[in-house]
Amino acid sequence: MRRIVTPEEGEIFDVELEEQILKANDELATRNSEILRRHGVKAIDVMGSIGSGKTSLIELLIEKLNRKYRIAVFNGDLTTTIDSDRVARHGAEVIQINTGKECHLDANLVFKALNSVNLEQLDLIFIENVGNLICPGEFKLGADKRLVVVSVTEGPYMILKHPFIFMEADVVVINKLDLAESMGVEYEKLRSDALSVNPKVKVIGTICRTGKGIDKVVEALGI
Amino acid sequence: MHELSMANSIVETVIAEANKRNAESVSEVCLVVGKLSMLGLEQLRYCYKLLTKDTILEKSKLKIELEEGKVHCGRCKFIGPIKIREDPQYHIVYPTLECPKCGGEVEVVSGRNCYIKSIKLRQKIG
Repeated sequence: MRRIVTPEEGEIFDVELEEQILKANDELATRNSEILRRHGVKAIDVMGSIGSGKTSLIELLIEKLNRKYRIAVFNGDLTTTIDSDRVARHGAEVIQINTGKECHLDANLVFKALNSVNLEQLDLIFIENVGNLICPGEFKLGADKRLVVVSVTEGPYMILKHPFIFMEADVVVINKLDLAESMGVEYEKLRSDALSVNPKVKVIGTICRTGKGIDKVVEALGI
Repeated sequence: MHELSMANSIVETVIAEANKRNAESVSEVCLVVGKLSMLGLEQLRYCYKLLTKDTILEKSKLKIELEEGKVHCGRCKFIGPIKIREDPQYHIVYPTLECPKCGGEVEVVSGRNCYIKSIKLRQKIG
């Protein structure tokens, strides 16, 4: 005897979904990267904690490169325009991306920012992510290179405590080397921590206050 | 830290799917989270609970399966679990992109995902 079992109305049934939640952002990031490539524009995603020196580093990079490239900066911040105002003083075009309460930039916000600039008039974009050593790592933006800034004043453990963002990085900048001794933090230990997490990463020590190490950052970014 | 926005995407996706299938309620959501993603499961569950209140997901169970971190080595062709390293000085355990077999550089092939694997729906009667 053959039996056919069909679900009754009101019965629970399973639906296989395989709906990617993070992948949606990855796809948008790929679209951003295609847009950038089509226009011959390079983009650098600058990540790092609050106060590590992301804005200072970007200011120095603009000063260093603004005769060679036409530069824009996308500034990700919760609500303020403090960083944008600082960067704008150096003559680069600045787009402020206010995330509201979100802890990171995502590919969609960057896509909107890309639509608000004339890419024909640009060669290089620095994207300053929201100050945070965790979430930005998870959200690709479509940038050519991802750079993480840490500073010795954040203490000796920040790299090993946050390995995931360093796994995503192409370049790690260790800033405020002039304060290393007072902080009792060793540059070499931080450098070896970064390489221990990600053997491919390029590690550069800087003092953004004086501009020390900035040439090496440019070299490491290949720009 | 971005668990709230992730939970929001999950809830929106499930509601859309449930409506499409004319469901009365959702009884279970099965989520796969990679061990190399930066999501905190406790926070994710908490946000899910907050966001599903007064929706057709309100009484649903959130099942979370963990996906292992797997890597591939371009040099020795190793495919397997990501190497975990310990720093004895700081007593910290952390993953590394160094090949567990040959010491070369590896690429992550899985463990970064977050996806909805399946949902259980209750169909409307009549």
